[in-house]
Amino acid sequence: MRVLVVEDERKTASFVRKALQAESFAVDMVTNGVDALLAAASTPFDAIVLDIMLPGRDGLSVLRQLRERKNTTPVLLLSARGEVNERVEGLNAGADDYLPKPFELAELVARVRALTRRGGENKSIVLSVADLKLDTVTHKAQRSGTEIELTVREYRLLEFLMRSAGRLCGRMMILEKVWDYDFDPGTNLVDVYVRRLREKIDADFEPKLLHTVRGSGYVLKETP
Amino acid sequence: MTIRRRLTLWYAGILILSLLVVGIGTYQEISEQLRHSHRKEPSEHALDETSEMIFQVGLPAVVLGLLGGWWLTRRALSPVKKLTGDIKKIHEHNLREPLSRTRNGDEIDQLTEVFNDTLARLDDSFNRIREFTLHASHELKTPLTILCGETETALREDALSSAERERAASQLDELRRLTRIVDGLTLLAKADAGQIALKLEPLRLDELVRDNFADLQILAEPNSIKVELEFCEEISVRGDRHRLRQLLLNLADNAIKYNQPQGRVTMSLRRAENFSEFKIANTGTGIAPEKLSRVFDRFFRGDPAHENTIDGCGLGLSIAQWIVSAHGGTIQIESAPPKLTTVTVRLPLKEAAREKA
Repeated sequence: MRVLVVEDERKTASFVRKALQAESFAVDMVTNGVDALLAAASTPFDAIVLDIMLPGRDGLSVLRQLRERKNTTPVLLLSARGEVNERVEGLNAGADDYLPKPFELAELVARVRALTRRGGENKSIVLSVADLKLDTVTHKAQRSGTEIELTVREYRLLEFLMRSAGRLCGRMMILEKVWDYDFDPGTNLVDVYVRRLREKIDADFEPKLLHTVRGSGYVLKETP
Repeated sequence: MTIRRRLTLWYAGILILSLLVVGIGTYQEISEQLRHSHRKEPSEHALDETSEMIFQVGLPAVVLGLLGGWWLTRRALSPVKKLTGDIKKIHEHNLREPLSRTRNGDEIDQLTEVFNDTLARLDDSFNRIREFTLHASHELKTPLTILCGETETALREDALSSAERERAASQLDELRRLTRIVDGLTLLAKADAGQIALKLEPLRLDELVRDNFADLQILAEPNSIKVELEFCEEISVRGDRHRLRQLLLNLADNAIKYNQPQGRVTMSLRRAENFSEFKIANTGTGIAPEKLSRVFDRFFRGDPAHENTIDGCGLGLSIAQWIVSAHGGTIQIESAPPKLTTVTVRLPLKEAAREKA
């Protein structure tokens, strides 16, 4: 997997690269829009991380140019402004995801991973991880054949975690996908829900499936 | 005409009037003397005629003078009255709208002009403060991104001892708090500058409240707080879905944070005349009466003892207040320590909101 990171701030660029490399992505770095267009034209990338505030040509115009050239590489926009309008504008210009600064690294990595797997997402009707099964039509969950009662929100949380099984899910990402919140409400809503869900799907069973990654988020997988 | 000239004329009127009074006085004095000097019938007759004439002319003159004076004072003062009314309407958001001027060059007009200049200067400094906050919160974002990123990178290193890991994780928690503060500040600074447009759409407020209640139930569980949705009437409003959800979550979160273990939270949504009324009440230490008026102020904490134990950015209620007023509604908080603290949010109903728009 090869990712292009377009970021002019040296330090940000450096830890974004480190984090992505740690997740075994090959990372190319450029610091301005013109170089970004050149790089995207010559190399096929699996995803592009694009900062909006760039010297000279800004990220949004780079993105529009990319899409005009029929380049469909998934793009994650980064922005220090973090306005709702900007988010909409970015998505309209052809971005696949949007992350306001300051972001959490885990969040960024999780999103890039989601982008590179887009299309390869688990679309089956019955999702399963180990002996945990979730029927997306009847909204019924089972673990080792035992039925588990879920509220609507718990179901949506579990569905999201199961569809991204094996991948780290950041708190913001969960808030966005499960609650449709595009702001950090500053509550421990996600943690409390995860704790409840864990009681239902993990408390009486082995192995534990829902793991906390300290300071980053949650991941649903068989082996810790 | 300047007020000075107007008043001069008015004063001249009064002078004439008093001259008249003096004239009458003098005349009566003279006639008295004439009576004493025993000249009888013909002069007495003449006297009657003259005094009658004085009454006929003098009285209306006095009444006219008084009425004229009253009218003139009113006219002279009416620009002052209008100006007072106009000044009363000034608040921090309409400073750039100048007060209307008569442009007749009188003192009031000059005063208005000076006042408008002052307003413009005040507006400038308000804007500078807003811009400062906005720029400051933007400028903080890049270093915050770097700090967060580097701390997270450090946390991932395997060579870290558990103590170092603990420290890094705690730093990251504080950085997240700082991030929320900066986000909140940015939001409010933009709202102040009128840079945030709400995405208004017709929506069912009761659905948002029910949704929020589901989250409230979960949030309340760890502290064994009892929650209750007393009443939830079907109500449509025109609003921004995201912002209203943010508002409700914000209030629900406060009701839990500032509660006591085994406490209680009750919610209700009702229709009143032409607005919807959402109430959320919680048990807990409450807010002292003298602090109630300040709870919507930025970074104001009702209870200094709680300052460090409650995780929050100190901007929650300020943001809530902005969301409500941006929807043309009102928010109120009542507290009777040590009993219930109640927040009441009133939003215009869908029909009313449309008429207003």
